[in-house]
Amino acid sequence: MSISLRRARAIFVKDYKEFSRNYAISISLIVPILFAFLFRSAGPSLPGAIGFLFNISLVLLTCLVQACLIAEEKERNTLRTLMMTPATTLDVLIGKSALVFVLSALALAIASYVMGYEPASLWAVVAAVVLSIILYIAVGTICGLFSKTLLEASLSVIPAAMVFTAPPVAPLLFGDYPILKVLDYTPSIQLVQLLELPPGFMTGDILKPLLIISAWTVVFSIISVVLYQRRLKDE
Amino acid sequence: MAVIQVEHVRKRFGNKDALEDVSFSIPKGEIFGFLGPSGSGKTTLIKILTAQLNPTDGQASVLGQPATTMQQSAQKMRFGILTDNSGLYERLTIEENLELFRQLYSLPKSSIDKVLQFVNLSGERKKKVNRLSKGMRQRVMLACAIIHEPELLFLDEPTSALDPVNSAHIYKGLRYLNEKGTTIFLTTHDMAEAESLCDRVAILYQGQIQAIGSPKELKKQHRENVVRVDLTNGEAYELPVTEGTADQIADWMKRGLIDRLATKEPSLGDIFIQMTGSELL
Repeated sequence: MSISLRRARAIFVKDYKEFSRNYAISISLIVPILFAFLFRSAGPSLPGAIGFLFNISLVLLTCLVQACLIAEEKERNTLRTLMMTPATTLDVLIGKSALVFVLSALALAIASYVMGYEPASLWAVVAAVVLSIILYIAVGTICGLFSKTLLEASLSVIPAAMVFTAPPVAPLLFGDYPILKVLDYTPSIQLVQLLELPPGFMTGDILKPLLIISAWTVVFSIISVVLYQRRLKDE
Repeated sequence: MAVIQVEHVRKRFGNKDALEDVSFSIPKGEIFGFLGPSGSGKTTLIKILTAQLNPTDGQASVLGQPATTMQQSAQKMRFGILTDNSGLYERLTIEENLELFRQLYSLPKSSIDKVLQFVNLSGERKKKVNRLSKGMRQRVMLACAIIHEPELLFLDEPTSALDPVNSAHIYKGLRYLNEKGTTIFLTTHDMAEAESLCDRVAILYQGQIQAIGSPKELKKQHRENVVRVDLTNGEAYELPVTEGTADQIADWMKRGLIDRLATKEPSLGDIFIQMTGSELL
């Protein structure tokens, strides 16, 4: 399947204009920054704060906005109209995802600065955040594709929030049961491990979380592309 | 060369046939009308021709290629489509909506002015779509469908939300597009629209084509051999076309009694009712 950057850019610009005029959704942009100010006043070294900030932002900004953008296009039949233009599935998905990617990266960078967060390995954190944003965009796309309206899309993010943000706090809530060890393989826990990397870390401490997050990202990205093509076919 | 060739196409949803053994072809440069009530299979056929659906049986080709390839970018450059499933970006202006389509089709900037003139919306270009009337939205959607001057245009009820003045403007534009070589495939409930615009029409009912031909041919085939005579004294007669009737009319004419003399020609709507026993809804 071919990709036209010109067409993807046209969809990006269109989404930016729509997003900037849709205050109900664009308000999500301040979520990470609000949390950052909240935690900053509680103390920058608050345990688990940075992990919680990133994970909740990825759900309430990245996943929610992507789900709403897709659901709104479906609700208004514009996604089908786009499909009938020369734009390919990848042109549409890349164009739509690029806006959410840029907004998420920007908001998380500002939130990190506000909190005074300094990672032990900048490149590892950047790589993990980039992969996580792509993962949550894919999850948002799936939520949007299964929603008929904007309201449904907002609600569909709740289960995603439970699945993707709860694992880091599960042992605190339910105790340290062996079965909960499986949650160590969730992307949110792996992201927290990278964000809270201690000084003097080993290469393996970075590689394992990055590989696990990459695997989640690849799987969900493929699922979102396949579902996009299937959900928009009338069979 | 046929722009659209449909051979024995059948489409089954569950245990119901939406289309049963449909065959027809549309040559280049024709305006072809598909008439039928809601649920008769018109939209299903458009979806098959634009690769949004696969037929259960049979074959269809569009612009010389199998219809299943119509989702390829190169093919999508060649046709335009306006259906009741088309949508617009509500928070953007008319111009911003068209700008998106201009870029998706890699067109020059002048294409926006040209198409706005075509749909009579040049003065409204800065208006946001969520402030437009239903008729204006319909015209913007049509503009999006034809901005790239396609070889083939699919139109599903193109003037359903328009007033007579704007409908007439759109008809004029469609004829102009057709004169420039665009083949038009349209579905409509409006019999007057079909008669005035279409070179040929097909009547689709319960998934089958009941009749196909030019409006003139169909009317001729279904014409009752009856003449209606209105006399100056207020009397009116419907008489069979026979030698006796001719003598009678000649006599009335000599006596200056004939006020109006007409053949009784059915409309396309009458033909549809005659063939299916149903009214177009």
